[in-house]
Amino acid sequence: MIQNFLTMNGYGFYVWLSFAVTILSCSILYYKTYKTLKKYEKDFAKELIRLSELDRELVLKKSKVASQVFASYNKFI
Amino acid sequence: MFDLINPSKIFYLIEKIINFINSIFFIILIIALTFALILSPPDYLQGDSVRIMYVHVPSAWIGLASFTSIALLSILNFIFKIKNLHLISKSIAPLGLMFTCLAIITGSLWGQPTWGTWWAWDARITSMVVLAIFYILFILANKLIEQKDKANKISNIIAIVGLANIPIIKFSVDWWNTLHQPSSIKLDGTSSIHSSMLLPLMLMFLVLLLYCALILLMKYKTEIIRIKKKNIKRI
Repeated sequence: MIQNFLTMNGYGFYVWLSFAVTILSCSILYYKTYKTLKKYEKDFAKELIRLSELDRELVLKKSKVASQVFASYNKFI
Repeated sequence: MFDLINPSKIFYLIEKIINFINSIFFIILIIALTFALILSPPDYLQGDSVRIMYVHVPSAWIGLASFTSIALLSILNFIFKIKNLHLISKSIAPLGLMFTCLAIITGSLWGQPTWGTWWAWDARITSMVVLAIFYILFILANKLIEQKDKANKISNIIAIVGLANIPIIKFSVDWWNTLHQPSSIKLDGTSSIHSSMLLPLMLMFLVLLLYCALILLMKYKTEIIRIKKKNIKRI
């Protein structure tokens, strides 16, 4: 039964390769997207840290995006 | 209505949706793969090679739907000049390209055991290659043209011109004699596919849709942060 499952009655190469290519491509795109997102979050948080305290407070107060990225970065480190 | 796509307003919501998808994704993936690879029956003619359909067909659907969405967003962007729409289009494009290429590759892998050839310049396959070229042009226009307004305009034109290819892909199997079979699933309820194969197909489609939503949201979030970072002094 396991032998049949693996060979797919002679079509194993085509079936497994199709699923493998799909899963591999999806994994690579996910990994690249995730890494880029984390890099931008980190860079943005660092940029916020570089601001003077007064400016930073003002930015965090005005921008929801900035405050959320900053909060998650602080939680992460 | 367009206020709903205001980046600042939906940023928190995006985070929530990403977490939700992450929590259910692997469960649905395992169920879908179990149905696709184990529980669904082999085809009476094609045998087990029919299982390639469970990745090939959803990939093709997503490739087509993504480009249609990009083109419709481009038309809206031309009319209403909303930059956020272009951000969404830019986020969809790499996904659409990947799934179009996957449809072509898995189609080729399906073609060898069923048609006896890896490749044929068949109307359906050729029009899918044309679709991939339109995706590449759209992505390159955004990457290579430095003036953002010009890049937006040119990529919008590429998307709108490329929209003409979508009905060609859809109806190519009816208009010309092709190796590719006509569609087995029709929205009018006259589908010729058995429910034991339709269920795994829909489950795999759901998994890939969730995956697309995840990538799209992550890319959109990246774009929002990139813009906020660029304009940090103006906040």
